[in-house]
Amino acid sequence: MKTKVSRRSVLGRIGAVLAGVLSAPAAKAAKTTVQKLLVSTGASKDYDPTKHQWQMAIDINKCIGCGLCAEACKTENHVPEGPYYRTWIERYIIRKPQAGAVESRGDVLVDSPEGGMHGFSDCPVPKEEILHSFFVPKLCNLCAHSPCAQVCPVGATFDTPDGAVLVDPKYCIGCGFCIQACPYGCRFLSPLTHTAEKCTLCYHRVTRGLMPACVEVCPTQARIFGDLKNPLPDDPLQKFFQNNRVQNLKPHLGTDPRVVYAGMDKEVR
Amino acid sequence: MPAEITNLVATVTNVMVEAVPHFEGYAYPNEATAGPLWGVLIVVYPYITGLVAGAFIMASLVRVFKVKALEPVYRLSLLTALAFLLCAPLPLLFHLGHPERCYEVMMTPHLTSPMAIFGFVYAWYLMAVLLLELWFDYRQDFVEWSKTESGFQGILYRAFMLGVTDESEKAVRLDMKVGWIISIIGIPSAFLLHGYVGFIFGSIKANPWWGNVLMPIIFIMSAMVSGIALCVFNYMVLSWVRRRAIDMRCLDMMTMFLFYALVIDAAIEGLDWIHRVYSAEEGFQVMQWMAREKLFYTLNLGQATMGTLVPLLLLGSLQLVRKKVPELARRRMYFASAVLILVGVFAMRWNVVIGGQLFSKSLRGVLSYKMELAGMEGWLMAGFLIVLPFIILTVFVKLFLSERLPTSGHLPHEDTGSSLPSGFIAPARDI
Amino acid sequence: MRRLFNMPPQILRLFLLLVGIVSSYGVARYFLTPPTFGEYGWYRGVALAELRARPLVFAGRKACEECHSDEATKLAKFAHKNVSCEACHGPRHEHAQDPDIKTQVVSFSHCLRCHEANPSRPKMHKQIVSKTHYSGSKCIECHVPHAPSEVP
Repeated sequence: MKTKVSRRSVLGRIGAVLAGVLSAPAAKAAKTTVQKLLVSTGASKDYDPTKHQWQMAIDINKCIGCGLCAEACKTENHVPEGPYYRTWIERYIIRKPQAGAVESRGDVLVDSPEGGMHGFSDCPVPKEEILHSFFVPKLCNLCAHSPCAQVCPVGATFDTPDGAVLVDPKYCIGCGFCIQACPYGCRFLSPLTHTAEKCTLCYHRVTRGLMPACVEVCPTQARIFGDLKNPLPDDPLQKFFQNNRVQNLKPHLGTDPRVVYAGMDKEVR
Repeated sequence: MPAEITNLVATVTNVMVEAVPHFEGYAYPNEATAGPLWGVLIVVYPYITGLVAGAFIMASLVRVFKVKALEPVYRLSLLTALAFLLCAPLPLLFHLGHPERCYEVMMTPHLTSPMAIFGFVYAWYLMAVLLLELWFDYRQDFVEWSKTESGFQGILYRAFMLGVTDESEKAVRLDMKVGWIISIIGIPSAFLLHGYVGFIFGSIKANPWWGNVLMPIIFIMSAMVSGIALCVFNYMVLSWVRRRAIDMRCLDMMTMFLFYALVIDAAIEGLDWIHRVYSAEEGFQVMQWMAREKLFYTLNLGQATMGTLVPLLLLGSLQLVRKKVPELARRRMYFASAVLILVGVFAMRWNVVIGGQLFSKSLRGVLSYKMELAGMEGWLMAGFLIVLPFIILTVFVKLFLSERLPTSGHLPHEDTGSSLPSGFIAPARDI
Repeated sequence: MRRLFNMPPQILRLFLLLVGIVSSYGVARYFLTPPTFGEYGWYRGVALAELRARPLVFAGRKACEECHSDEATKLAKFAHKNVSCEACHGPRHEHAQDPDIKTQVVSFSHCLRCHEANPSRPKMHKQIVSKTHYSGSKCIECHVPHAPSEVP
């Protein structure tokens, strides 16, 4: 009785091992076929994301509110029409204090008609009543501790090794959690693809040695872009950091944005 | 019933929303979309999940805390929890941009995301808690019923037996013991299930309306309130449908627990408000603006007055003078409180989910949205998703709480497995 | 092994069910996890390459200067030296790929996009009020866009 059991178990074990050995390649083959159905890879591998660190800086003092950047972004990235922007320009108008009022500054008016992509033709406040007015370009803040990537349930949005925060349109389930988690309103759910979309830092351009579309068309160099790991001989980004004190948007949230602003006002958020 | 109320709320909010412009002040351009990113489906989702957690807590009062008076609703509460749990993922699934990719949440769950944990918490709660507890409780009955029933029902009972026919006293005692253990595990699991739903909102630091440490606790407490209210509602409706006398001892006990849960819930929500008003952090003004204009009806009228104050008064006064109130009046007051609480908690979910999207994250403006009637995020869909669990529950009641079928004698609060001749489902009294 | 089968029958069934569920989850995960997942982090590594492969719309200044070097050298002497070609001429990647694809002429209302007076613009930026600044004439009648301080 005893031997019978042991013999049976030994045979069973051998059988199991054989089945395992035989099925391993079969399983691998099956896996590759299944995965071929799920993903198609056609892109080249000539770029190493670990060898770059992209960064963007904004000089508010230089922005003239022409809106070329917002328009170029829509064109370059085929951003859907309507209230969907990967970058936009805000206009801040701070009125003079009302006569008799003991206050340093008056009311603040903020607007961004069509994301500023057609410029700001008319000013809603007469010139005499304005204390200060300025334009602030906005885009993804490329947070070092990005709340959007933190909450993505499937790993469809992520921080890349080279400093971009990207969305994988083939993997995004369109739950919208990242859009809720972004404090800066930089994300939207595309009505065309039903996935989250955002500024990619023109990843397809910068990895080919070009400037992001918004930086390319900015006529006044209010947007400064560079690679911290490979600075140019006369790097505009390095110069920007030498010449300016910089600030982040909503620093109290601890997102640690890599997009920095010079010439910021307390009303900007 | 809740569906009609939902539609009523829709009419009220639609009238309000249409009267005001799309947004006032400044909103980030991406925020000025036609509808909220998370619409009414995401209101329904925490509502249903809360009902599950609350109904389960109700059942565990019998099994773990041995509240004998509540035995008549033990199985009903568990089946309620199951019926609603089966519907809980549907609103989530329907609101996704790509529902066909939902499997990714289970395959590559991003562990820093509260939403990724959903799949696991849900699977755990469904399979390791609710189904297991029900199975151990029903196993003996399945064996019995499969002997007498034929046809579809008989096949079903035989399948549910999972091939185990052991009815010995030892086996039944083991069932009871395991059921008790599962129930104990189930209580923190129910808290986990709904606490994590609260955490989905509470963890969003970008949104001052949501980002709040109290959020999971508020969600757990309101879940318990709404779940117990649902059990009261179901028990009374089922008794009425079956023309059975209501066990007043049981109903009094249920509503007593409902009252105390409501007291704690109201206290915590009040604490949250006091904290918000007192600390008046960045964004307080815009939230005040929103609460005054956009959420006036749902917050002040729906959540605070109808959903909390009136039931507190009704149930509280009954705690004091229960003996003096005639049975019929008491039943009516209980029923009214349960319905009001169910509506009030729905309003609370609305205020959290939609409220969090009615102001710009620039903290400079408030937004308006118009809900559609039809369509994926419309009121019809929401009504359907709230009615669906009741339909499933009706099927469950027909299958598992049938008056025709005798039940085994074991008592859920006795893990010793003594075999009493007539159990807690004595047809004359209980359902 | 023996003790396993001596388990109470209901526990044994559930144990087998558990093994079934867990192993089918394992199998599903084996097959449905994308191949490059985890290459750099908790995402599909190949997504980076896919996003890089998107086509260009703006060619970039370097591409323009390859053919239009004369214009570029002229531009470099004047105030518009830092204005990229495509800021005024629009996206030209198609034209850079195939010069036969002709480009549209720039509308000269485009000048006003930057130079119309606006109280929100920085003071040092050159601005005019188009209604009072020789209204009726075109900008290019007096200004050369590639050499703003020259008179035509």
